[in-house]
Amino acid sequence: MYVHTIQLRHSNITVCIQRSTRYLSAFSATRGLHKSALDVAERPAPEETVTSSFGRFIQSVQPRHLSPTVLQRSKRMILDSIGVGLLGSTTEVFELALQHCQHMYASDDISFVYGRQGVKLSPTLAAFVNGVAAHSMDFDDTWHPATHPSGAVLPALLAISDMLHKNSKPSGLDFLTAFNVGIEIQGRLMRFSNEAHNIPKRFHPPSVVGTLGSAAACARLLSLDRNQCSNALAIAASLAGAPMANAATQSKPLHIGNASRLGLEAALLASRGLEASPLVLDAVPGVAGFSAFYEDYAPQPIGSPEKDEHSFLLERQDIAFKRFPAHLGMHWIADAAAVVHKNLVGLRGGSISPNLVQDILLRVPLSKYINRPFPETEHQARHSFQFNACTALLDGEVTVQSFHPEALQRPELHALLSRVRLEHPHDNPANFNIMYGEVEVTLVSGDVLQGRCDTFYGHWRNPLSQESLQKKFRNNSGTVLSNERVERLIEAVEGLDHLDDCKPLLAQLQ
Amino acid sequence: MNILDDMGGVTESFGAAVSCLSTSHLTDEVIRRSKRMILDTLGVGLLGTSTPVFNTVLQSSQRQQALENSQVWGRPGLSVPPQYAAFVNGVAVHSMDFDDTWHPATHPSGAVLPALLALAETMPAKPSGLELLLAFNVGIEVQGRLLRFSKEAHNIPRRFHPPAVVGVMGSAAASAKLLGLPAAQSIAALAIACSSAGAPMANAATQTKPLHMGNAARGGLEASQLALLGLEGNTQILDLESGFGAFYPDYVPRPLAEVTPTSQYRWVLEDQDIAQKRFPAHLGMHWVADAAIEARAKFLDKYPNANLSQIKKITLRVPSSRYVDCPFPVSEHQARHSFQFNCCTALLDGQVTVESFSKSQMNRSALKEMLLKVELENPQDNHSSFEKMYCEIAVETTQGEMFTARCNTFYGHWRKPLSHEDLVKKFRANASTVLTADVMEGIIYTVDRLDTNQDCSMLWSYMHFNKHMMHSDEHRISALA
Repeated sequence: MYVHTIQLRHSNITVCIQRSTRYLSAFSATRGLHKSALDVAERPAPEETVTSSFGRFIQSVQPRHLSPTVLQRSKRMILDSIGVGLLGSTTEVFELALQHCQHMYASDDISFVYGRQGVKLSPTLAAFVNGVAAHSMDFDDTWHPATHPSGAVLPALLAISDMLHKNSKPSGLDFLTAFNVGIEIQGRLMRFSNEAHNIPKRFHPPSVVGTLGSAAACARLLSLDRNQCSNALAIAASLAGAPMANAATQSKPLHIGNASRLGLEAALLASRGLEASPLVLDAVPGVAGFSAFYEDYAPQPIGSPEKDEHSFLLERQDIAFKRFPAHLGMHWIADAAAVVHKNLVGLRGGSISPNLVQDILLRVPLSKYINRPFPETEHQARHSFQFNACTALLDGEVTVQSFHPEALQRPELHALLSRVRLEHPHDNPANFNIMYGEVEVTLVSGDVLQGRCDTFYGHWRNPLSQESLQKKFRNNSGTVLSNERVERLIEAVEGLDHLDDCKPLLAQLQ
Repeated sequence: MNILDDMGGVTESFGAAVSCLSTSHLTDEVIRRSKRMILDTLGVGLLGTSTPVFNTVLQSSQRQQALENSQVWGRPGLSVPPQYAAFVNGVAVHSMDFDDTWHPATHPSGAVLPALLALAETMPAKPSGLELLLAFNVGIEVQGRLLRFSKEAHNIPRRFHPPAVVGVMGSAAASAKLLGLPAAQSIAALAIACSSAGAPMANAATQTKPLHMGNAARGGLEASQLALLGLEGNTQILDLESGFGAFYPDYVPRPLAEVTPTSQYRWVLEDQDIAQKRFPAHLGMHWVADAAIEARAKFLDKYPNANLSQIKKITLRVPSSRYVDCPFPVSEHQARHSFQFNCCTALLDGQVTVESFSKSQMNRSALKEMLLKVELENPQDNHSSFEKMYCEIAVETTQGEMFTARCNTFYGHWRKPLSHEDLVKKFRANASTVLTADVMEGIIYTVDRLDTNQDCSMLWSYMHFNKHMMHSDEHRISALA
C-alpha cells in the first residue's frame, strides 16, 4: 500500500489514494484497486516510497544476510545489554517503574523482569521496565550517529519471545535477525539528517529512532507482512520523541523503556490491522512525518535485500561499550584524567590530596547538558565533565561505585570540583566520532601535568576485548544472578546463532 | 547560552497554579462553557465506540488488567486499567474528528475528560462534580497557556499534531489536580508527560490520528501516577528550549499569574470560547460546507427544479493546507480531511452529516462526477488559521451563470457558538446510537447539574451502557437510575 502521485490531463492534481498498483488513470484511482492486485506484481514499483522500502526490508531480510562481523558484533551488544539491564534492576527508578506496572497485570503476564526471579508482567510492560533497567545508569551501548540502540530493541524482543508458545519460540538466528533489523533501522534513520550527527540538543535520540527500531524488530519477529511492517513504523512515529531536558534526570531511563514498549505496541497494533501514514518516512512538503523531529531531513530508500547485496550498517560502524555508567563524553575525560592521576601518583606516591592542586582545566566540547560543575544527584553526576574528571583524578578510574551517595559527597571531591574550569576549543566539536578530552592540572608547586584522550578504551575505534566485555558482564549480572546463571548466559549468547530455539537464553532470565 | 535559562520560573508558576487553583476560582461563564464541552465530548465519544479504530485499540488494551480498573465507554462489563481506559475512550472521542476545537488550534477536551473519568473511578474518595469541573478546567487552561507560548501554534499545524503536544500536558495537569498533588509533584507530572508529547502531522487523516488523543489522555494520567510514586523529571521543563520548547521553533514561555485563595483567576476559556462541530470532519471543512450550502440555496432559489449536474465548474478559495487538500478521497479519514469532498457533499445534499462519510454515500457517482469539477485556489489573504480563514465558493453553470457565496464564520465556530438546543440535539443524535433514552437523559441531567452535584459517579456508569449489548449488571443499574 503506498501513495502514487500522477498528473491528470487537465490540471496538476495530486491524487491521494490508499491502495494502488504502479500506474493508474484518474478513473481507476477513484475505484481504488484491491490490495491483492499489488501482491500479484512481483516487480518493484518504479516510484517506490522510502516508507514502503523500509517495510519491505523488514519483512524480507534473511538470516543469511548477516555477515560474520555483524553476527559477532550484535552478540556482543546483546550480552552487554543483558548485563547492564540486570545491574539496572537494582536502581530506584527501576523499582518505581516496576511498582507502576505491577499495579497492572494481565491474564498473559508471562514476560520476565530483569533481576526479579519469578516476577512476570505482560509483554509490553515487561519491555518497558526492562528498557528502563537497561538505561537506568547510562551504562548501555552507544552508536554513531548518537543513540543507545540495544536497550530500545532487546527488551521488546525478549518480551515477545516469552509470549510465544513454547513450541514456537524463535530460533537463535531468527532472534538475531530481528535484533539486527531493529539496529539497522535506527542506523538508517539517523543518517537522514545532519542534525543527528552531533550531540543532541532537542529530542533524545533513543526516543526518536529507538521507538521505530523497536517497532521494526518486533514486526520482524512477529512475521508481519510488508504493509504491516510499514504501518508499524508509522504508528511508532506517533509515539516517538521526548525532549532532551529530561536527560540527566530520573526520567531519562523511561525514554528507552517507552521506546521499547511503544515500538512493541505499534507492531501489535499493526498486526491487528491498524493503518497509518504510508509516507511517514518520506519528505512531504507541508506535512511532517518522521521529519518532524529534525531541522534537516533527507530520507533514502533502503535497498532490497533480495536484489542487492545488503550490508548492515553495523558492519561498517561498530558500537561503543561503556566501562563505567556515565554519558559517553565522560569516558574521554576520565581516561585523560587517569593519565594525570598516574603521573601524580608517580610523583608523590600514595593518594592524591586536593591541597596539591591549584587549578584543573578541562578541554571538552561545548554541550550544555554535560557541563555541571556541582552535580547534586547521581543522574547529574553521570552527565558532568567536572565530576568524572575529578573522580578519575582522585581514584585513577571511574566505576559503578563512583556514583554511590558516599562517593558523591566526598569532601576531597568537592574540593577538587571547585578548582575546575572548562574550555571549549574550536577543534573539539560535540561529536562522538571526532571529540577528544584534555585535562591540564596545575599544582601549587607550579608543575603542570597533562593528559589527553582521543579514543577511550571501549570506543568503536578501540573496542573492548572479549575478556573486558565479559568481565563487565560478570560484574553487572553477578549483582543479581548466581554464578551458574551468569556463565550459562554467556554461553547462550555466544552460541546464539546455533541455537534451534532461544529457550536456553530465556531460561536463565526467568 | 539561552537567555531563558536565566529567567526560569515558568515551570514553577505552572506547578503553583495547578496545585493552588480551587473551585472558588471557577467563574459562572467558565462553568457554563466547560459543561457544554463535557456534554459534547461524551456524546462524540459514545458515537466513536462504534468505529473500527476503537475496536482495534480496545482489543489491544484488553490484555491488561489492574487492581483497580475503569470502565470502557459503550462496552458493558469491560474494564481495563485507568490508563488504558483513558486511552481507548480518548481514541473514541477523536475517532471521527467530531470533537471540539480551540484557538490556537487543538482539540482540548478529548485529552482531558477520558483521563479524569477513568481516574475518578479508581479514587477511594470520589470527587464531587465541582471538583471534577475544576480538574477539567485546569487541564484546558494549561493547554491554552502552552499554546500561547509560540507563534507557530497560531496556524494550522504542519509538524506536530497539537493534541499530542499540549494535550498530554493538559491531561497531566488535570490528573495532578484531581489527585491533589502538591506543586512539586505537579511539576514532575508535567515534566514526565513532556517526554511522551509529540506526534507528527503525517498520521493525521489516517486511522492512527485518534490514537494521538488516546495517548495524550493516557500519557498525562500515567505521568501523574508516576509523579505520585516519586518519579522526578526536569523541574524547568517548561522554561527550557530543550524541554517543552523542543516542539516549537519559536518558543517564548511566560509565567502564569500568581494564584492565591482569595484572588480572581482569568481563565483562557473565559476569553476564548470553543468551536463545536456540526459534522465529523476537520474544522476547515465547516467553512466550506456553510459556503456551499449558501451557494446551493441561491442556485435552487433561482432554479427550483434544477439539476445539479448543470454545474460546470466549482472554485473554492481556501487557505493553503496540504493535508486537507484531497481531491479524490478513498477512505473516510481522507474524506474528513478534504475540502473538495465536503464541498461536493454540501452542494448535493444541502448538508454534511455523520452519514455523509459512509461507504455508500462516498461512492455515489453523482458525488464522484462533481469532485472532478472542483478546483482550489489559495488567495494570499486567506490565512491558515482558524481565527482568520474564510471560504469563498464560485459555482459556474453550463449556461455560464455564476453563483457565489462566502463564509467567514461557520455556525458552531467560537464567534457563532451552537445554541444550547443544537448542542443537546447533537448529543442526542450521537448518544442514541449507543444508549437508551433514559440513560441518555441521565447524562444530560447530570452534566447540567455538575457544579451542584456531590456525587457524579453515575456519569461513568452511564457511559458504560450499550443498548445493543446486554450485561447482567445493566438490569440492576437501570433499575436504580
